[in-house]
Amino acid sequence: MTMKRRTFIKAGAAITAASLAPAIVRAEEKVWRVGGSLPMTGPFATAGQLVAPALTDFTMMVNDAGGIGGKPMKIEVEDSGYVPKNALANFERALASGPLHGYFGDSTGFMELVGPSLTGDKAVMMMSTSFASSLADPAKRPYQFMAGPSYQDQVEILLKDISAKGGKTVALVYSDSEFGRDPIPHARNIAKQLGIKIVLEEVTKTAGADIESHVTKLAQANPEYAILQGYVTGVWPQLIGAARAFGLSTQFMGTFWGMEKVVADRVTEQAGPFLDGYQGVMPYRYFYDQKDAPYYQEVNAWKKAQNADFPGYIVTWALEAYINLLIWKKSMEITIEADKPITADNLMASMRSIRNWDTGGFFGSPVSLAEHKIGQGRVYKYSAETKLFTPVSDWITT
Amino acid sequence: MGQVMQYLLNGTMNGALYALIAVGIVSIFKSTKVVSFAHGHVIMFGAYFYFTFAVILPGAEFMPDWVAKWEPEWLLAYKEGAMMFSPKAAIAAWVSNLPRIVLGLVGSIICNALLAVVIERLFMRPLLGQSSLSMILCTVGLIWVLEGSASLIWSADIDQVPALGPNFPIRFQLFGDQVFLFSASVVNFVIALLLFAALMLVLRFTRSGVAIRATAEDQSTAYAMGINVPAVFTSAWVVAATTGAVAGAILASRNGLSPTLGLFGLSVLAVVLMGGLDSFAGVFIAAMIIGIMEAFTQWKFGGEYAEIVPYVLVLVVILWRPNGLLGQAEIERI
Amino acid sequence: MITGHYKTAYAADESIWNNWAKKSGLVIALIGLFAFPLFANNYLLLIAGQILIYMIAVTGVNVLVGYTGLMSLGHGAFFAVGAYTAVIAHNAVENLFPLITLALSAGVAALFGLLFGLPSLRVKGLYLAVATLSANFIILFLIRQDWAAPWTGGRQGIETPNAVIFGWELASNTAKYYLIAPVFVVFVLFAQNLFRTRFGRALIAIRDNDHSAEILGISLYAYKLKSFAISAAYCGAAGALWSYFFPAILPEDFSLNMSITLVVCLIAGGMGRTLGPLFGTLLILLIPEILKIISGVFTGGDGNALIHFSSIRDIVFGLLIILFLIFEPMGLVSIWDRFWRFVARWPFSK
Repeated sequence: MTMKRRTFIKAGAAITAASLAPAIVRAEEKVWRVGGSLPMTGPFATAGQLVAPALTDFTMMVNDAGGIGGKPMKIEVEDSGYVPKNALANFERALASGPLHGYFGDSTGFMELVGPSLTGDKAVMMMSTSFASSLADPAKRPYQFMAGPSYQDQVEILLKDISAKGGKTVALVYSDSEFGRDPIPHARNIAKQLGIKIVLEEVTKTAGADIESHVTKLAQANPEYAILQGYVTGVWPQLIGAARAFGLSTQFMGTFWGMEKVVADRVTEQAGPFLDGYQGVMPYRYFYDQKDAPYYQEVNAWKKAQNADFPGYIVTWALEAYINLLIWKKSMEITIEADKPITADNLMASMRSIRNWDTGGFFGSPVSLAEHKIGQGRVYKYSAETKLFTPVSDWITT
Repeated sequence: MGQVMQYLLNGTMNGALYALIAVGIVSIFKSTKVVSFAHGHVIMFGAYFYFTFAVILPGAEFMPDWVAKWEPEWLLAYKEGAMMFSPKAAIAAWVSNLPRIVLGLVGSIICNALLAVVIERLFMRPLLGQSSLSMILCTVGLIWVLEGSASLIWSADIDQVPALGPNFPIRFQLFGDQVFLFSASVVNFVIALLLFAALMLVLRFTRSGVAIRATAEDQSTAYAMGINVPAVFTSAWVVAATTGAVAGAILASRNGLSPTLGLFGLSVLAVVLMGGLDSFAGVFIAAMIIGIMEAFTQWKFGGEYAEIVPYVLVLVVILWRPNGLLGQAEIERI
Repeated sequence: MITGHYKTAYAADESIWNNWAKKSGLVIALIGLFAFPLFANNYLLLIAGQILIYMIAVTGVNVLVGYTGLMSLGHGAFFAVGAYTAVIAHNAVENLFPLITLALSAGVAALFGLLFGLPSLRVKGLYLAVATLSANFIILFLIRQDWAAPWTGGRQGIETPNAVIFGWELASNTAKYYLIAPVFVVFVLFAQNLFRTRFGRALIAIRDNDHSAEILGISLYAYKLKSFAISAAYCGAAGALWSYFFPAILPEDFSLNMSITLVVCLIAGGMGRTLGPLFGTLLILLIPEILKIISGVFTGGDGNALIHFSSIRDIVFGLLIILFLIFEPMGLVSIWDRFWRFVARWPFSK
């Protein structure tokens, strides 16, 4: 039982420190503090563990270059286990231990949970991993934004691309989760407008789906295109693999979270070139495509300097964190330049004022953030031979 | 009609996998009277061991090349000119993977057996004699330990493993409709059935099988008759972990490998209770019923309904038969 | 010496606060409970409010699992019913008086409890646990459905109202804490007193041996159902408080995970004792937060370090539960009992 007692003493000390900390920090506000929750454990641990180093790298790069407005920044991440309630506790803990200039949320659920309480002096500029459509709402969610197109926009981009290629029939395959269902009603509307027929709507489990049954139903409907939504690491590779082995000619298309090269490569290595020809919408340039992306080159050079063995690829999920933080940094800089105090209201006003901003390569054309989102994306295609996603469309805006 | 057969087949394939997972929970319950909530996570460890021996180890530098990719002359000759996704190409790819698949299976079975011994000795043995509730809670605590360890050892990265059998579609006509199956699923099905049957034979005809059954009947009497009951407990955990290792390899090859694999164990709990905690046959029937009903629900109503099928079924069955389909009623004395 | 009180009547034996140590302990605990917000920041209040709500729910689980001996892994569902009832009631009637919401949520949850309780006469032990677990899944499934979305918000969850008492909106964590704390005290005292009554003793008789209890003239069906209803009402009330406390609720909040946590809290604290649920909840909900604070001190919030630390934290948490079971199988209350036995007999104790 000695261990327990020691734990308690330590924790007591830490709790005292946590509750006393505000007074100390307020006296000497020397760093820009960004808090964050990431799913380091639980169902999306894969994503969380790949994103976490990006936050650290970004901080080091900014601080190496002299910080923001002369002051360094600091990111404090904590694990949420993908439970919104835990992320809320993390947020409150971060808030209690000093002024917070930004927060990186880990899920739609957390953003919905914390949204109503962001008022007055509790308001914090908040970015997240989520592209849920409800978060890009300047009126209802004045402190939250997303660095890319919402899921609705992403599916719209896909449907527009399908329509441009003369596609007539499409199947919507999505996981039984908030994430999977988010863009579906919108997709029905857009498909109707574009004259595309939705021949099948198939709901799957989030993990461990019954692949054979889904493929059977797909084969019966035999759509030209199938849009997959609401998957991260599982289901989509297996579904496409099975459909391909079955001999279906359906063209599969994914959205941001189901477009990761690392996952596609692993599948190709172990199961064969099933994913060859898989397409999907990606808001950002892939990291290996650095020709027109000065910021990517910068990150690449910095990573190479840190670690000579750096393979030259950063997962798209981490790129999302980079661009979110870049927007935050840009808003900070605008606010500091205008000589206004750093409050959530001023930061968000600065962010909304961003027009025609060159992101340094993330997006094809300059972006504006008036609507708390960036409605751009491009359709990419995976090749099992080169193991690269290459663009097959121009940048499509919504 | 052919449609019905199609979903019946899909369901049977899944049902066999449920049965293979459920076997572990039943085997532990029969001898120790503990329902293991951590069985899914033991399976996850099996999957990760399979990954270690079938993917990481063959890729290591000191391993001879043929372990990672076995390509004898005759195989190259056989493969010559095979179309992509054709049965021929699939079989050739499987044969060249065979050494590492076998290595992976053997390795994961051995390692998982060791893991089971460690769990039983370290965590379950000290609780002997306590109420079964605290032993069950102990397996709940194990969930966190196992999940954390897996993510610490292997990281939460998504990984892929080679399938146990060659993977190509099998098509045939049935009642005028085209029906299809994946050969890898058939292989998994056969493996699951064989393991299940082997286990039943062991229980019925070997000395240790008799010991296990005697312990299941009455622990103290078995003790008095000279049966080494603690050893029976260990062997029950080992049986669960080894069948779990195979189930883990199958699951990982079907769904990809990440620490979430463990969650699968919980839905199988419904299968076990529906069949009757202490009946292998009942659990087998329940697994098949749930697998098939899930496939039909998927067909007629869609995925969101399929998810609650096991729970609705188990509720209905328990109301009708309070000890599951074939479970033994406990005799209570005042 | 705090022993040596001479009892002359059955009532004295049954009395709860029968010595000065218990009386002053209660007073100190109450003062501590109500003075806590004066010293706490928002974060500590968030954790404390959550713990108090859980304590109410676990006390409810204790009525069923600890005193009646019926296993349940479905109490998250009652929690959900309470929380959603509160939200729906508030959406129907604006600024409903919180006590009415509480009563309503507890009542509706109790009705669900009766429904869940129906299998309990036929089904026992683990089978009952899985039956309630199934019911939990089914209720959450119903809440998630699109056709229920106008009332429950479906998968997206729904924003919850703030409690309003006579025109005063309880918006801050401090205000919410002061709503929760008195409710908590009332519910715990009710549970403590319940088991001094004929009804409570009947439940204990059922736990110890249900057939004997039946022979003694206790109607199993009626009592088991009532026990289910009471325990569900506790969770329902906790759910209503939960919806006041958090700005939004999601169906996943009340999943199997919550049901299991409730039972884990109970067993860690000690079943069939009033203090058990309180200790257990404190332990189980505080450990992860404390581990986070400790690891935060070590990592400084660095993402790379967190990759390992969060896994290690999981392992430590699991090991702590297991070690507790091995060394204190009767729960934390047994440490408490030992401590008081030691104090009471001092200086003759060893």
